[in-house]
Amino acid sequence: MEITNVLFAGVGGQGILTSSRVLALAAVDAGLDVKMSEVHGMAQRGGNVDTHVRIGKEVPSSLIPPGGAHFLVAFEKLEAVRNLHFLGPRGTAFVSPLEIPPLTQSLKKDSGYLPGIDRILEEKAPRLVWVDAVRMAKEEGDIRMVNLILLGALSRHLPLTPENWEAAIRKRFPKKIQEACLKAFRRGVTDVAQNQPS
Amino acid sequence: MLGNEAVARGAWEARVAFGSGYPGTPSTEILEALARYEDVQVQWAPNEKVGYEVAMGASLAGVRSLVTMKHVGLNVAADPLFSSSYMGVGGGLVVVSADDPGMHSSQDEQDNRAIARAAKVLMVEPSDVEESRWMTREAFALSERFDSPVLLRMTTRVCHQTGVVRLGDRVEWASKGYLKNIPKYVMLPSHARERRHKVEERLAAARALAEESDLWNPILPGSPEVGIVTSGVAFGYVREVMPRASILKVGLSHPIPLERIRRFAASVERLYVVEELEPYLEEAMRAAGIVVHGGRELFPYTGELNLPLVEKALLGAPRSRVTVDLGDVQVPTRPPTLCPGCSHRGIFTLFREMKLRVMGDIGCYTLGALKPLAAMDSCMCMGASVGMAEGLEKFGGPKEKGKTVGVIGDSTFFHSGIPALIDMIVNRSAATLVILDNRWTAMTGGQPHPGTGKDIRGNDAPQLNVAEVCRALGVKRVREVNPYDLEATRKVLEEELAAPEVSVVVAVAPCLLGSRIPKGRPVEIHLETCDRCGACVRVGCMALHEKDGFPDLDPDLCTGCGVCVQVCESGSLSLPAGRGEA
Repeated sequence: MEITNVLFAGVGGQGILTSSRVLALAAVDAGLDVKMSEVHGMAQRGGNVDTHVRIGKEVPSSLIPPGGAHFLVAFEKLEAVRNLHFLGPRGTAFVSPLEIPPLTQSLKKDSGYLPGIDRILEEKAPRLVWVDAVRMAKEEGDIRMVNLILLGALSRHLPLTPENWEAAIRKRFPKKIQEACLKAFRRGVTDVAQNQPS
Repeated sequence: MLGNEAVARGAWEARVAFGSGYPGTPSTEILEALARYEDVQVQWAPNEKVGYEVAMGASLAGVRSLVTMKHVGLNVAADPLFSSSYMGVGGGLVVVSADDPGMHSSQDEQDNRAIARAAKVLMVEPSDVEESRWMTREAFALSERFDSPVLLRMTTRVCHQTGVVRLGDRVEWASKGYLKNIPKYVMLPSHARERRHKVEERLAAARALAEESDLWNPILPGSPEVGIVTSGVAFGYVREVMPRASILKVGLSHPIPLERIRRFAASVERLYVVEELEPYLEEAMRAAGIVVHGGRELFPYTGELNLPLVEKALLGAPRSRVTVDLGDVQVPTRPPTLCPGCSHRGIFTLFREMKLRVMGDIGCYTLGALKPLAAMDSCMCMGASVGMAEGLEKFGGPKEKGKTVGVIGDSTFFHSGIPALIDMIVNRSAATLVILDNRWTAMTGGQPHPGTGKDIRGNDAPQLNVAEVCRALGVKRVREVNPYDLEATRKVLEEELAAPEVSVVVAVAPCLLGSRIPKGRPVEIHLETCDRCGACVRVGCMALHEKDGFPDLDPDLCTGCGVCVQVCESGSLSLPAGRGEA
C-alpha cells in the first residue's frame, strides 16, 4: 500500500486547516482515497495546530506515525522543529521562516524562542526548503495567501496534476478570490523550482 | 467530508426532522452541518439534558430526531437516556456521544460504550467518515425496529477525520404521528416494571441481529493464524498494521455479538482485541469464556491509539522508522491562551492581583488557570463553579471570607449554573459569582446560546439577559461591569466580596470573535520610562512579548483593549489618542 503522508503544522489561525482541506480535495479530484485528521476546540486558542493528510489508493487510518511523513509543511519555525520527528529519512520540510514566540511569562530573558533555530532546522531536517511565504503573500497583496504559496511549493512533489489543484482551489474558495488564490499557488510552484536543491 | 458532517448527511438521508444538542468538542460540527439542510429543524439547547428531552418529545410526535453532545454531555443527559431506554421511541431517536480519547479538549476520557451497556440501549460505532454517514442513516431504522434510542458513539479521530463518502439518496419514510400509550410513556414504577421486561426482549432481538449481520459486524477473512476483534477508529490502525489478518469489526457494539465472536475465535489460532480506552469488548468476551491471547494489557491504559502502539501490540515492536533525532534540543511548549483583546483577561488579572480563591468553570476562561495569569483554583464540570464557591466560602474559614468567587461564562450559566445559583440564594451563601457575559459559546467556535439573540442559522431569536435572570431568581445584589475598565471592576468586586450575602457581578463584553468586533488601534510603548517590572506581560497576551528584557508589541495582534496599559504603573504604555478602528 503506497500512501503519501503530509503533515501541516503551525499556530492556530494560520490557515493550516484550509491548506490540508485543499490538498484533500485535490487528492479526491485525482480519484485517490484520502484521510485527514485535524484538531479543534481547546487546542486552537493560539496553541500549536497540526493536521495529518494521508493520500493513496486505499488509506485505512488517519494519523501519521513519527518517521512516517514524506512532507512537513510548517507555517512557523518553532512548529517546524516541534514536528520534525514526524519526517522520514528522505522527508522534505517546507518551512515558512516566520517566528511567533509562545506566550511570554516575564521580562526576564526567557522569550521562549529556540536559539539557533535556523541552524537546527538546516542540520536536522533530511531535506529543507525555505519558502518565504509571508513575503510573497504580502507581495501578492493578501497575507492569507501564505497557505496557497506553501501548497504550491509542496505540489511539485505529489502525484497530483495542476488540474487537480485548480479544481480543489475552485471548490474550496469563493469565486471572487479564486483567481488570486490560483495566482498565489502558481507563484509557490515556480518559486520552489528555483530554490529546490538538486 | 468531515466525520461530523457525514453524521449530519446520514441523518438527512434518513429524513430526520429535528436536531438538537449542546456544543462540545468534538461533537459541535454535527448540528452546524445539519443546520445547512434547510428542511430540518435544528436548534441549540441550553444543555444536553434539555436537548435530549426536546428530541424525545419530537420522537413521541412521530418524527425522526437527532441529539448531539460530547461524552461528558451524556452525563448531563444520562437521566433522560436511562428512562427513555424503558420507554422506547416513536420516530427513530439517535443520540450522538462524541468521546475524546487522549483528552484533546476535555476534562476526562470516559468511554461511553459503558453507558450504552448500563442504559441497555443499542449502540453503533463508526470507524471512519463513510461509516459515520451510513451508520447514522441506518441507526434511525434500528431505533424504530427495536424500539430503543440508539447511541451513536463517535470519537475525536472519527469526528474530525476528513474522508471520502458515497452520498446516498434520502430514504422513503413516513411518520406515523403521535401514538398515545400511557403504560409505555409514563414511567410510574408499575409501568416501568412492565417496560423492564420489554427492554430485555428488545436487547435479545437486537443481539440476534448483531450475531448474524454481515453489514454491521463484518468478518474480513484473512490468515487463520491471527484474528483481531476491533471496533471504531482502532479498525483503521489494525487494518494498516496487519492487512492480512482475519478481522471481526464490531459496528453494532451493543448488544455485543458474543456468539459471532466465539465462532470467529474458533476459526483463528490466536485472538487479539484492539479497542481504544476501556476493555469493553474484551471483558465481555472473557466473561463469556472466549480465550483472548492479547488485549488491554498490550496497550497503555490512557490516551488514544496510533499506528506505533498497535504495531507494538500486534507485532511485538513498532516498525522501525528512522526519525529525526533532535538530540538535546528542548522545544518550548505553546499552550493555548486567551485571544488578544479577550474580555476575560482583565477579570483574571484582577483575580490574581486581589489574591482571590477562584472556583472556575468550563469555557475559554478556564485558560485563566494557566501561567502567567494562574488565577483559578478549580475547574470540575459544567456549572460547578457556583456550588463549589458556595461550599468553599462556607467552610473555608475566616481566611476565605470575602475572598471566594465563582467564575462562570454565560453559556455555562444557562447550561447548569442557574440551579446552583438558586442554591446560593436559598441557602444564604455569602460568596460572589462573577458571570462572564460575552454572548457566545466561544470555546467551541462561537455558537449562539440563550443570551445571544440568534439561532443556529444566524436568524434573530429571543434573548435572555443574564443580570435580569439573576434578579428574577431573587439575587438582591446584581451589578454589571465593563471588564475592560479594571479600576471600576475592582471597586465593584471589592464591594460585593465584602457584602454578607450572595452577589452576582456580570462582566458584559461581547466575544471579539463571535461578534466580529473590529480591532482598535494598537497600544504604544514608551521604552524610555519602562522600569521592566513585567506587569504588562503578566496579563498573558500574545500581542505582548519580551524582547531584550523589554516589552515588545505585535501591532497586527494587538486590539487596543487597554488591559496592559492599565496595569502599567510607570505609564510606559498608552492607547493612541482618539480611539477608533485601525
